Amino acid sequence: MSARTIEVSLANKLGYERVAMACSASFAQMMGLSPERIEDLKTVVAEAAINAMQHGNKGRPDARVTVSMNCKDDTINVSVMDEGDGIKEFPPKPDIEKIIAELESPIGFGLFLINQLTDQVEFNEVADGGHVVKMAIKMNS
Amino acid sequence: MQQHTNEINLEQHGAVTLFNIKGDLTSFSEPFLSEAYQSANDQGVSKILLKIDKEAYINSGGIAVLIQILAQTKRNNQNIGITGVSDHFKKIFSMVGITKFADIHETVENALEVMS
Repeated sequence: MSARTIEVSLANKLGYERVAMACSASFAQMMGLSPERIEDLKTVVAEAAINAMQHGNKGRPDARVTVSMNCKDDTINVSVMDEGDGIKEFPPKPDIEKIIAELESPIGFGLFLINQLTDQVEFNEVADGGHVVKMAIKMNS
Repeated sequence: MQQHTNEINLEQHGAVTLFNIKGDLTSFSEPFLSEAYQSANDQGVSKILLKIDKEAYINSGGIAVLIQILAQTKRNNQNIGITGVSDHFKKIFSMVGITKFADIHETVENALEVMS
């Protein structure tokens, strides 16, 4: 971990994602990210942390979610790591017409927002166990 | 910490029933919004305005709850609007398609004028 990387270890409990949101917002503000993109960053950090808690760690109270962030080459990079196996199958893009018609369940909005609001996103297994979502937001995007 | 409860006061403004929603919008909001909607629906409302706190934290769980309410208003032929939304969540609501089914209004006054 580089000297300028920030890392937060979260309890695996819904609500704690807000700690990571606040931390990422402070960090991004220090780095000079625009207020509009800071709001985007807060949303994607929250959604990735919620997914990690619910789907990665499957709600286990003893599990942790680790959020780390750095700024390199004019890009804010955030990694959200859980202790799970990762995403086996990505949900389709939510189709609001079908959801409103009650033909589909209202799921998949977290991943949809992560894809929409980041400049780059990767989902990777971690070598010694766990799963990590790596998201990038460019300073000038 | 994230609030896990909502306080929702229903106010009648002519033909429009205003849902004054206090607190964050997350998956924990589902029983509170459902109960408020059921209560209003039982009274035969035709126009609903959801007023959200500008500073409210809204996540994908809250978006799903909102969309469930939109689905019910569509099924019951009710007109629905939303106000009190920050610029960031206006963008999010547009991205996910909420704005296809509910108009976003700048203020309560503006909403009541348009919806009445």
